[in-house]
Amino acid sequence: MPLFSNHATNIDNANSDKSISSVPSRWQQKVNGDLNSKSRHAKIAPWLINTASFVIMGMLVLLSLSIGVADFSWSGVFHSLANHSANLDSSLMLVSRLPRTIAIILTGIAMAVAGMIIQVVLKNRFVEPSMVGATQSAALGLLVVSLFFPASALIIKMSVATIAAVFGMMLFMLLIHRIPPTDFLMIPLIGIVFGGIIDAITTFIAYQTETLQMLSVWQFGDFSSVLSGRYELLWLTGVLCIIAYIIADKLTIIGLGDNIALNLGISKRHVTWIGVGMVAMMSAVVVVTVGMIPFIGLVVPNIVSRIMGDKLRRSLPAVALLGASAVLLCDIIGRSIRYPFEIPVATVFGVVGTVVFLWILLRAPAES
Amino acid sequence: MSTTSFSSHRATPVFKRPLIAALMTALLTSITVTGCIAPESNDSEPADSNTENKTADKAKNVATNEAVSVTIISVDTIKGSVDLAINPSPLVVYDMTLMQDLAALDVAVDGMPSGLKLNNLHSKTQPDPKKVGTVFEPDLEALNAMQPQAILVGSRMAEKYNALSSIAPTLNMSIDTANIYESSKQRLHDLGALFGKSDQALKLQQDIDGLIDETKTATKDKGNGLVIMVNGNKLSAYGDKSRFGFIHTVLGVPMVDNQIKDADHGQPVSFEYLQKTNPDWLFVIDRSAAIGEESVGAKAVLDNPLVAQTTAWKKNQVVYLSPDSYLAFGGYYQWMQDLTAIKTAFSQAK
Repeated sequence: MPLFSNHATNIDNANSDKSISSVPSRWQQKVNGDLNSKSRHAKIAPWLINTASFVIMGMLVLLSLSIGVADFSWSGVFHSLANHSANLDSSLMLVSRLPRTIAIILTGIAMAVAGMIIQVVLKNRFVEPSMVGATQSAALGLLVVSLFFPASALIIKMSVATIAAVFGMMLFMLLIHRIPPTDFLMIPLIGIVFGGIIDAITTFIAYQTETLQMLSVWQFGDFSSVLSGRYELLWLTGVLCIIAYIIADKLTIIGLGDNIALNLGISKRHVTWIGVGMVAMMSAVVVVTVGMIPFIGLVVPNIVSRIMGDKLRRSLPAVALLGASAVLLCDIIGRSIRYPFEIPVATVFGVVGTVVFLWILLRAPAES
Repeated sequence: MSTTSFSSHRATPVFKRPLIAALMTALLTSITVTGCIAPESNDSEPADSNTENKTADKAKNVATNEAVSVTIISVDTIKGSVDLAINPSPLVVYDMTLMQDLAALDVAVDGMPSGLKLNNLHSKTQPDPKKVGTVFEPDLEALNAMQPQAILVGSRMAEKYNALSSIAPTLNMSIDTANIYESSKQRLHDLGALFGKSDQALKLQQDIDGLIDETKTATKDKGNGLVIMVNGNKLSAYGDKSRFGFIHTVLGVPMVDNQIKDADHGQPVSFEYLQKTNPDWLFVIDRSAAIGEESVGAKAVLDNPLVAQTTAWKKNQVVYLSPDSYLAFGGYYQWMQDLTAIKTAFSQAK
């Protein structure tokens, strides 16, 4: 295994040098400059970053557990823990607060990791699951299965949503196959248009069948309905993230380019499909249980790769932690500003995510 | 007219190639269609059409003066008052509230949108109405073929007012959500007058008013209430200015939370909100039932440890409102169904 990662880093540098000489675009230079200047950023050790993120996340978790509409006191929980007996506070904690917080963390991790995977697989910094048609296709699949088989079990609905998401991403891969790989901004542009078309089809079907309201449940992700027993499907995304961590090195190599993957004996086709399948499943599970949350998969991996580079084995834990913290923060904001009512986390993240992403874009040239 | 020309062209053997034939027919039909529309499009502006209707009605009045005098009636609508001959036929209706009132008045409706989820929208004694699009989207071809004398629309179709009024006098008789009772009373009265059934309309209104009085007596001093909609697995709360506000404003059930603002789809709330506000009565609109979905019943969604702590759930004081209150709020059958449901629930309370 150490040999394996050695290869990865060597090739990493070789590849960056090559692409600088061959592609003179300013953005490309910028991105590669970042990759090369990893040593510069490495002043902050990854473990330090991860520990700091972990501490921040811990504080947000405590805040998330404390904020809610119902009356709640920590002393009640400690009292119940000490006496080994349940009371109102501890049951509220177990039924509502803890499940909600766990669901938020799992969603944040899943969307951020899915974003990172799809960015590496497509070798493009500006894509995320909702920009390659994954979440939209999942919603379309979910709508169709709800219309034809309204009584079907959640697992069936989720499977259909996943299949639809994979199918949508396949279509997208076929589409981008036809444009030159150096055209950096075409991929996200095509993705946005593609997602918009699927969205339009979904909305049209919903409009015709008077299910727009039902559709809105999936289109605006929020955690207000999360209770124990109603979010557990999300643990599946946790499993997928662990798998992603296991195959992290292979994904990194795929991200370096087709020839390098071939030389290192990695089947580009297989790993790409595994990556695509994982992203589709994560998006589908999140859409089915809480709804779409845009921008996480775009903003979080970009921030992390700016600091830590694109080696997934090193950056995935940071991506996961930051993703969880970001969604936690946005949900806390959404719960607090109109207390006791809620603002869907998708709306809050839409606003915050746009600002952060603009900041990333505008800050970029100053650094080079 | 355009259909006949279309078929005759298709029948001629001149066009051997289907593509050319299709192109030519498309061209010809487009010419004939524009030709047909051109003279009509002049009076497509509402102001114009109103005056033209008046003159047309006057002319009709003069012509038939000797035989039967046609009575012109002025109907109050959202777009100002419209003068219309009594008993317009064929009649097209796009709003479920108005359909319920007309069904109760036993007025035959000739055109209705398809895919309606309620079964009390037209009286059983009349023939099935023609399909003229959906509640959101009119089928202008079908309307044109029908040549209706009047089109009644509500809030869902209000956007299409201009397109519809180029075909026939269109009456926007939407219900004011903030003031459902007064507004629906006015509409029922107007419909009665328009179809020469004022007495029957008055009787229906007396039914509603009588039931309101009985329900008010039943709900008096029985505690506060909260209206929520269950949509999928999510909840939203509705206040006294929403379309379900009649529970607070007309029936006088106190609101459990006065902060709820009016919003089209309610205020998103969590289950903890229900636990905290702890309403004595819970009025539930099952959105999925309203659109014919039976996947996740509202009851299953509400059945959780947090809702179980509320007085409403403990004392079994949960009232499920009819799907009509979502789709046809302010309609005659909606009033009767919801009032009966609420009255029954409250009079059974201990």
